[in-house]
Amino acid sequence: MDSADDPPTSTLAFLFQAEFASEEQQQKGFIDWEWLGENFTEDVVPAFLQHIYLCAVALAIALAISLPLGILAARYRGLYGPFTAITGFFYTIPSFAMFIFLLAIGFSVGVTPAIIALVLYSLLILIRNVVTGLDSVPPETKDAARGMGLTDRQILWRVELPLALPVIVAGMRIAVVTVIGIAVIASYIGGGGLGTLIFSGITRNFPTLYVTGAVLATLLAISADLLFVRTERLLSPWAHRTRGAR
Amino acid sequence: MIEFKGVSKTYPGMDTPVVRDLSFTIEDGEICVLVGPSGCGKTTSMRMINRLIEPTEGEILIDGQDNTSMSGTQLRRKIGYAIQQTGLFPHRTIADNIGTVPGLLGWDKARIASRADELLDLVGLAPDQYRDRYPAELSGGQQQRVGVARALAADPPVMLMDEPFGAVDPITRDRLQNEFLHIQEDIKKTIVFVTHDIDEGIKMGDKIAILKEGGILAQYDTPENILVKPASEFVQSFVGGDRVLKRLSLTRVGDVDLEPANGNGNALPRINAEWTLRDALSEIIGAGADRGLVVTDGESNGGSRGAITLDSIRKISHGAVVPRG
Ligand SMILES: Nc1ncnc2c1ncn2[C@@H]1O[C@H](COP(=O)(O)OP(=O)(O)OP(=O)(O)O)[C@@H](O)[C@H]1O
Ligand SMILES: [Mg+2]
Repeated sequence: MDSADDPPTSTLAFLFQAEFASEEQQQKGFIDWEWLGENFTEDVVPAFLQHIYLCAVALAIALAISLPLGILAARYRGLYGPFTAITGFFYTIPSFAMFIFLLAIGFSVGVTPAIIALVLYSLLILIRNVVTGLDSVPPETKDAARGMGLTDRQILWRVELPLALPVIVAGMRIAVVTVIGIAVIASYIGGGGLGTLIFSGITRNFPTLYVTGAVLATLLAISADLLFVRTERLLSPWAHRTRGAR
Repeated sequence: MIEFKGVSKTYPGMDTPVVRDLSFTIEDGEICVLVGPSGCGKTTSMRMINRLIEPTEGEILIDGQDNTSMSGTQLRRKIGYAIQQTGLFPHRTIADNIGTVPGLLGWDKARIASRADELLDLVGLAPDQYRDRYPAELSGGQQQRVGVARALAADPPVMLMDEPFGAVDPITRDRLQNEFLHIQEDIKKTIVFVTHDIDEGIKMGDKIAILKEGGILAQYDTPENILVKPASEFVQSFVGGDRVLKRLSLTRVGDVDLEPANGNGNALPRINAEWTLRDALSEIIGAGADRGLVVTDGESNGGSRGAITLDSIRKISHGAVVPRG
């Protein structure tokens, strides 16, 4: 965690130093390309990487939680209600409020509360899609699997999860876009990332900063989405072949 | 050999059994058809053999051994299983689907692959063309062939088939039935075959077990005997008013003593020796004749084997014994 804390701190430090120069920079047009060129690797890239880091870690943790919970809820229907009620509650909390609550219950400013918040936001979408995906497995497929002598565990790993994969990935796509958006706001509690560029840009009326941040956040969301689409096609070729012979 | 001994099944939360005190024996190498109206417990009875369902009473012996003497999964890997909806794995290729049980049994890859090709050949699908496809890329009839191939994969002595040809059109079903009977002549499996279609039962079964509502065994006998001597009114009505005709469909023209084809055979309808007496009867009556000229496949003219008359068909329908098959 310590090393992860470094980039935002240094970025923030830079932003404060840069403040006195901002008036002059405004003269150079809406986007100050010169500034961008000079500071790109030093300040923009770290913020961008930090953003990816936040989102990736949060999604990985969220998936690690949602997968077992979703499998449980698909098995024991009674759990589905409570699970969606609780995670649905997290999902409805406005992101600012969520960060404030996390600070209020004792987390100090930094990456940890940011990641926790992002995880909490993803849970509802992911659990729901895991359950929907498992439900979409045709009962006769499971019956045939059992009838041929697969154990319950083999049925889960070899039949149910692979068949649920497209639906689970669909959930990941929504979650990743949501998380990339909310992670912008997480910079307020020291999560770092592109939000740092955007908010200081706005505060200091320096468009180069916030436009860069916004564009990168958008590009990141689009490419993450595409990456998931590609991966899913690679992992589930069967779901994408057209009906051929007849 | 599969023995049902006083087997009953009552589902949890229900007070009447859906299978009641079932006792009968299925001989090795025979197709035993379980037939009866919907909900009479055919599927339940079949699924108790490989313990997808556990009986509440009684026991089932396979080759003299209680089927609870090993774990359910061990048991099921030794018993072929094919169902109407096929249950093929959509995410696995045809070859992988067929290789499922061999894979579970730890066969090596090369052996599984060659077995899959062999079975595709057996069920009439060119391996080169089909082995790497996914189930969705096959027609319904082709999927059912693969379902049967998959059930045969590890060469199990016993096969359970629940309406395996149920989801296709009548013509395809007829072809699949014929092909399967042909395969069975070689492989001689002990087969439990569930259907609700008595005609399919008569065609496929060496023995037929007719179940009635509440899972009671109404009659267990050869198709011949069930048609000639229905044990009860229930069986009689289930078999249908056309049981005399059905009986004719048990016999092939080629298996009957023919009369010499005398005179001008040209005006007579042509009867293929592979047809059943029922088909022959229909053809002769349809042509307004009293006899038909029996020919073998591929020789529509000349080479006649003889003639079959309405008279001889009538005699057989009244009980003159013709050896089956
Ligand atoms: N899991 C279950 N729980 C409770 N009742 C069941 C269950 N499975 C089947 N039944 C009931 O048991 C009876 C027999 O069902 P079964 O599936 O064996 O009939 P079937 O003869 O195969 O009918 P069909 O020709 O329609 O397939 C039916 O009344 C059915 O509703
Ligand atoms: Mg059934």
